[in-house]
Amino acid sequence: MMDLPGPRWKKGKDAKDFAAVAAAKPMSRIVAKLQASLKDSEAMAILSGDGGDAILAIGRKQAKLLNRAAFGRHIENAGEEERQWFQLRPEEVFFLCHALKCISVQSENKKQMDEAQLWDLFTSTSEPFPEMYKAYQHLRLKNWVVKSGLQYGADFVAYRHHPALVHSEFAVIIVPEGKEFGSRCGRLQVWSDLLCALRASGSVAKTLLVLTISTKGCDLASSDCLGQLIVHERAITRWIPQQCREQHDKPQREEANGDVQIQKPCSEDASKEEREETREGVAFSYWGVILSFTILSSLLVYKLKF
Amino acid sequence: MAGASNAGNRRRRSRAPAGGATGAGNDDAEEHHLNPFLDAAPSTSSRIQFRDVASRARWVEEAGAAEVVEGKGKLWLTTGVTRGGKLCYNVEEIGFLVERGAMILLSDKDETIGIEGIYEKIAGGKYGCSWDAFQAYKHLKSLGYIVGRYGVPWTLKNSGVVHTDQSFNKVDGTCSDRTKSLKEMHIDRLSPSFEVYVPNSKFKKSSPGAPNFLLCVLRNKPFLRVELERLENNFGGIPLKYCHVDHGRVSFLSFDEVALPSLP
Repeated sequence: MMDLPGPRWKKGKDAKDFAAVAAAKPMSRIVAKLQASLKDSEAMAILSGDGGDAILAIGRKQAKLLNRAAFGRHIENAGEEERQWFQLRPEEVFFLCHALKCISVQSENKKQMDEAQLWDLFTSTSEPFPEMYKAYQHLRLKNWVVKSGLQYGADFVAYRHHPALVHSEFAVIIVPEGKEFGSRCGRLQVWSDLLCALRASGSVAKTLLVLTISTKGCDLASSDCLGQLIVHERAITRWIPQQCREQHDKPQREEANGDVQIQKPCSEDASKEEREETREGVAFSYWGVILSFTILSSLLVYKLKF
Repeated sequence: MAGASNAGNRRRRSRAPAGGATGAGNDDAEEHHLNPFLDAAPSTSSRIQFRDVASRARWVEEAGAAEVVEGKGKLWLTTGVTRGGKLCYNVEEIGFLVERGAMILLSDKDETIGIEGIYEKIAGGKYGCSWDAFQAYKHLKSLGYIVGRYGVPWTLKNSGVVHTDQSFNKVDGTCSDRTKSLKEMHIDRLSPSFEVYVPNSKFKKSSPGAPNFLLCVLRNKPFLRVELERLENNFGGIPLKYCHVDHGRVSFLSFDEVALPSLP
């Protein structure tokens, strides 16, 4: 099992990092409050016609919680004062609907959609939706914040808390496994793709996290398959023999806050430490000699004088 | 040589721009190209073969290995295996040593086998090492790592007491047991190719200890979860690393299982 790199918290105006803010407001509690609040207000999302994003209009209180829980993207709207508009991606819609059961969903022509219809719509619009959603749900249920990773050439990026408080640690790529997934053009099937993904994630200081989604056999046409899908987590890291260390998500500088850069010390480094210790030992004995000599000569002078 | 390159790397590290502009520590940040358009003749490789400091070894066809007849220098401390008191080198070790001018390979008629003959043996794949695996071997050896073929003991007594479950053909009791070992190197994902120790001046073949990691040389599909899991279960907690060789460039990777914590 690999030691994961630690989080890189962002810093506030007082130059203190946001770790304390995140610790004081755990994501699970924020999401629980959001869930209760959306349920209470009977929030309803409206699908866009093409099966892509949905739009959600909610009150100020819900909006604050939705923002804190890092779902969706706020839509600036000059006219509205009481209502805040948000845009939700399919995984977020389905998560709020299926996992948290706190919103209902309407098609663009005002038809109420149940879960099965939603699943149908999302899977027919996007073939990889089953594995994408399973991965999304897997991470969200562990209280990681999951956002699009497209600009980094990945499927998702995962944050330890709200993106305003912390840098994302992982670029996530999802790899479906098994004939149930059909003839998908999966990622990481050839070396150029794997090394590309590794380089892309490294250049933005993220660890490449591969989530393989396997199944013992289920029908992806129904959201019931979610219970049969298994998520396997692996990190791909480059190892640099010149430096005898794993390359993690850090650029080559020492982090002042002592963030973890996993160094497996080369024996060369270890023997360097040994040499330094020996030098110290020699220094002590050098001063020991000087001290003894001083004491002895003082004693001698003392004796001679008296 | 390894020390020099490491020192250079340490200097480079301390000069790395604070903003990490070079990207997260690329191991191959700059492609270094020798300029072939310069008028002055470029200085050729300084690896001139000094015959008086080179070891000499004789190729033993039945063993698919070379037996050292005259050892020089200190490379033998971390290279080659001892069989019944004799030092034997396999093809990748021979290739590495001859390229550096540290060894001369002789035929059974005591004629020098040139580097092309050695490359033939490696590329032919009959002696348990592929061209790709040879690139990976050289890369690590040049950096000071101690690299042995996976599963091949560093020393074996001549008496026939064997600490592996292989039965060796004890024709001459020295290098012949390597014929069995040859088949054991796998240049695919099913088994590691090498066992690797970090640079260690105190390395002893008589008690090498557990390797720091095992290296699998991958060729085909880069990432198959099921095979990774199958591999990992077999090696008693010794880390596995993987490398891919592309036209002489070796990329080393880890595919470690992780468990993302559940957050509060």
